[in-house]
Amino acid sequence: MLALQAKGLTVTARIDGDDVPAIRALSFDLAPGKILGLVGESGAGKSMVGRSIAQLLPAGFMIAAGSLLFEGEDLVRMAPARRRGLLGRAIAFIPQAPMTALNPVRTIGAQFDEHLARFGEAGRKQRRERALAMLAAARLPQAGDLLGQYPHQLSGGMCQRVLIAFAFASNPRLVIADEPTTALDVTMHPQILRLIAEMQRRHGTAVIFITHDLRLAAQLCDDVIVMYAGRAVESGPARAVLSKPAHPYTRCLQLANPSLRSERRALYVMPEQMPSLRQLRQMMGCHFAPRCPLAAEDCRRSEPPQIEIAAGRSVACIRAAATPGIATTRRATAVPDSSGRPVLQVEKLAKHYAIDRGLFTNARTFAAVKEASFNIAENEFVALVGESGSGKSTIAKLLVGLEQPSSGRILLNGEDLTDPSMRRGALRALSLQMVFQDPQSALNPRRRVTNIVTQAMEAGSRHASWEERQRRTSELLAEVGLSADFAARLPGQLSGGQRQRVNIARALQHSENPGCRRDRVGARRLDPGPAPQSFGAAARRARLRHAVYFPRPLGGAASLQPRAGDVSRRDRRAGTDRGGLRRSAACSHASAAVVGAAG
Amino acid sequence: MAGPLFRSLRSVRVLIALGMILCIAGCAIFAGWIAPHDPGDQNLLSILTPPAWVEGGDPSYPLGTDSLGRDVMSRLIYGARTAMLVAFFASIGAMIIGSILAHISGYFGGAIDWIIGRLVDVWMSFPPVILSLILMVGLGVGLGKVILAIVLVDWTRFCRVLRSEVLIVTRNDYVAAARLLGFTHWQTIVREVLPATLPLLITLVSLEMAIAVVVEAILSFVGLGVGADQPAWGQMIADARQYVYQSPWNLLLPIAAIFLTVAAFNLLGDGLRRTLDVRLAETGR
Amino acid sequence: MIATVVQLITRRLLAAIPILLVVSALLFGVLRLLPIDPAAMSLPPTATIAEVEAKRREMGLDRSLPEQYLIWLRDALHGDFGRSIALRRDAGSLVAATLPATIELAVAAMAIAALLGVGGGLLMFHLRGTLFEAVADFASILLLSIPEFLWGLILLFVFGVALQLLPFTGEVAPGLPLPHMTGFLLLDALLVGRFDVFLSACQHLILPAFALGLAFSPTIMRVLRSSLFDVYHEDYIQQARLRGLSEGKILLGHALKNASLPTLTLAGVQFGILFSGTLLVEVIYSYPGMGNLMVDAVRNADLPLIQAIALTYCIVVLMINTAVDGLYVVLNPKLRVR
Repeated sequence: MLALQAKGLTVTARIDGDDVPAIRALSFDLAPGKILGLVGESGAGKSMVGRSIAQLLPAGFMIAAGSLLFEGEDLVRMAPARRRGLLGRAIAFIPQAPMTALNPVRTIGAQFDEHLARFGEAGRKQRRERALAMLAAARLPQAGDLLGQYPHQLSGGMCQRVLIAFAFASNPRLVIADEPTTALDVTMHPQILRLIAEMQRRHGTAVIFITHDLRLAAQLCDDVIVMYAGRAVESGPARAVLSKPAHPYTRCLQLANPSLRSERRALYVMPEQMPSLRQLRQMMGCHFAPRCPLAAEDCRRSEPPQIEIAAGRSVACIRAAATPGIATTRRATAVPDSSGRPVLQVEKLAKHYAIDRGLFTNARTFAAVKEASFNIAENEFVALVGESGSGKSTIAKLLVGLEQPSSGRILLNGEDLTDPSMRRGALRALSLQMVFQDPQSALNPRRRVTNIVTQAMEAGSRHASWEERQRRTSELLAEVGLSADFAARLPGQLSGGQRQRVNIARALQHSENPGCRRDRVGARRLDPGPAPQSFGAAARRARLRHAVYFPRPLGGAASLQPRAGDVSRRDRRAGTDRGGLRRSAACSHASAAVVGAAG
Repeated sequence: MAGPLFRSLRSVRVLIALGMILCIAGCAIFAGWIAPHDPGDQNLLSILTPPAWVEGGDPSYPLGTDSLGRDVMSRLIYGARTAMLVAFFASIGAMIIGSILAHISGYFGGAIDWIIGRLVDVWMSFPPVILSLILMVGLGVGLGKVILAIVLVDWTRFCRVLRSEVLIVTRNDYVAAARLLGFTHWQTIVREVLPATLPLLITLVSLEMAIAVVVEAILSFVGLGVGADQPAWGQMIADARQYVYQSPWNLLLPIAAIFLTVAAFNLLGDGLRRTLDVRLAETGR
Repeated sequence: MIATVVQLITRRLLAAIPILLVVSALLFGVLRLLPIDPAAMSLPPTATIAEVEAKRREMGLDRSLPEQYLIWLRDALHGDFGRSIALRRDAGSLVAATLPATIELAVAAMAIAALLGVGGGLLMFHLRGTLFEAVADFASILLLSIPEFLWGLILLFVFGVALQLLPFTGEVAPGLPLPHMTGFLLLDALLVGRFDVFLSACQHLILPAFALGLAFSPTIMRVLRSSLFDVYHEDYIQQARLRGLSEGKILLGHALKNASLPTLTLAGVQFGILFSGTLLVEVIYSYPGMGNLMVDAVRNADLPLIQAIALTYCIVVLMINTAVDGLYVVLNPKLRVR
């Protein structure tokens, strides 16, 4: 009997009075002990599947049609009490954000005890022993102490292991893992995946693994379904789908994800974005057509049906045969010639913070950055990589002047920026700008785009006329690939990708100023997808000469051909290394782990 | 900013509250035209008369008279003037001092924040009622003194609440970005931080007006308010309390007046908080 | 955990000392702004100028302001707060005689406010999503708008004058003895075994305590409701549902404990304000506590007494705030471990 079977599952959302399908006619079979991957960008509907199983859909959403059979019983039509009885016992969930998934004011032990008591483990002592056994199986050291601790005392990775222990503690027949590694550091991903695989094997559980990362799905899953705009566009055995994708979308996803190991090539840039639920109401034909490189007239007329192309493989595309032809250009492997003359020199930069300053205690210092040294020459892109907490953001702040270094020097074209003098402030503003990481807090929600990208014209005693500002706005928007009608919009009306572009445009404001170097310091979390391309594209278009940036998934770094500097957590030093991110013998252990995790 | 403010007019609460406040303010402004008598006019022949609709009432004194024969209705109307003057000026005053210090404290942090924080702590360790009583003892009675006393007591509340908000706003990257683009500190605070804290500020002013009305009433009740020559609702209550068996209306009417005024300001503050808060997250839509 | 709490309380108490010093100095300064002459006031109107001068010297009013303050401070540390000008008794003992009554009133009022507040908050939360929610919310704002002194007057009128159900003057019925052991009337009555005194004291306490409690319960109600709302949006509540826990278990076992933290902090702050609110209620009900004493002192411009009482209010409120902070650390694990 199948662990889970979906038959034509359709979930709708109420938008402006209409019911718009968020998941359309999804069907799949999950055999016991198998792992099924649901892959897609955010908004594709993958998480809705998990929520439908639990019947905990957000307000306005409902299951309009179809059925979800758990071991033969329809979850959709089941009595709520019976369904609640299944949750936590036969069906378990592994959450996306481990740090917030547990009650912060109760100990791990208390919550585990409550959980175990649900499935009839009698007696406190037995429950405690079972909890200890599960925690040990999850490779958590000192399980006994752990039970007495609170969630905030554990790291993200440890929390996730605890939650995996919770999930498998009841010997479930089905586990739904909703992006279990997204919120964790890259170095944690392989371990968590290994743990899930191990537990799954041990308990013989069927697993639904939801992720946006194709490669993770390839590593772990038996079968995979690629979802786009609520519909399964391709499904089949994982290795097959991902090595020889049939649907253009899958192929584009593959090409859009940077990889360190493969040959250096340009990242594929998919134009625009996946349609939102609102936009879906008006779309006719294949929903991927606006972005598809193979789109033809027929595609826009009606939605392509699911076609079975091989045993167990199906595709929803009428042009699937042409998919292997989608490719991007290879990049020249030679590093572009740089004149060698350093534009920015950082020498033994260090920053200490005093913490715990009390009247009677000595201040303890926390060294955020110790001895960072690197140079950026003309026409160079430098990537500083490292785990979270390794000091990258501090270096960024020191470079642009938001913080003052405790020691060391920063030389911009020979001028010492750490020297306290007045001119320095203005000069710095002209040549060193920062592209901030978080698109939510980087743009003032009350300023229109025009005011944001020409903000410098309001500074100090400058007064620019409205026409001047509008003219400049059009120029800047063109440089980052936005049309001029974005000028009047507010950040709340922009999508995430558009906000990033405005963010970049703001940093480029001064680039017209002749005779100044255009260094851009970007602290960017480059999530897979549009971001690396937009930064790179914008950077190229804006004649950005040199930049330092801090990508999280390392692959993004490779696509822009940087010289790599790495910041390791333990040492907090920055060293540089020419010629790509291949490891040389001299690198530290931590950075090797980072590179290894990036694949 | 104007957009969300106009949008808040669509909220039922805000409309009701504004309606009430306009009525009361109307009484305050046009007191001279509306009031049937001079509030200080004593008529010792008709003391403690009940309202006109009760037996024994006199239509020329629609709501009755107090223990000195003064017309209750006129005193209520002029009392509204006292209450509104105090509410308006005291809350604006407290707002100005409190918000300036809050913005400086939250934006610059460090030693300045510490000093202002300690100052607020010390100030707030005085229970407000006690402090205002003592200030009035020291300053003497009078309308201006009451306003001053309230400003001196309540600015700390503005400061503390706004400071938290300023801290949150300042942590946003766009504030740092403004500095990087060459804005001076002053420009950054006024153009980037203040528009974000403005909604909370406006809500607090409205709530402060409610508090000011209550404090004024308390001070007048105890006899340390605006002085015996100016009509005040608190005073009317103190007076009526002694004759509560003979004329209960004289007690109930000023109570109702205070309640309606305070409720109106509270409603306004609550309504504004709902509309301005949520709206800001959906700007432009 | 105990260590952290003790550390915190010690730190706060130490920090409270400079606060008290500054506060008392400010008090001193403000009161000296008065254009009255304490010396003249403590002598009969027939006193000659020379006698007034002599009295001034005796009271130390001819010294400079800082000197006067230091003298007062020195005396205060020895427990001598000066003599009340109007009542001609030691200020310190006057305060000590009336403080217990105020504490009794405040504690009773806080208990009522807590019960009504928590009950009301849970009810409002339970009504969420229904039509009644808007009604309850509106009602709570209206309730908020009635300050304690208005409640005092309304309750006095309705239950005291109109319905004549409850007494509204004083602490006990006249004619009953006032046992004095601890100073707390309710306690003393029980200890001595006089249940009639106890009953009468309770009756007299009802109206003033409810006046205060009703005034402060809406705030607690609203904070509990909004904290519960916030907590229910948190991730771990959704996760608990996914683990199959029932809504009842979620509310009691998870949500309430988290929501109680901000509610408790607010309730603690409210207690401080409530304590100072006792002043008005005491005046309205002629309840023999510190508040009544203060108002009389203020009307008589009785400086030493005013100072003593104001300082006492400050000390009590500071102690309450410190206790609340300590309690918060006990309840919130995030603050406990460094």
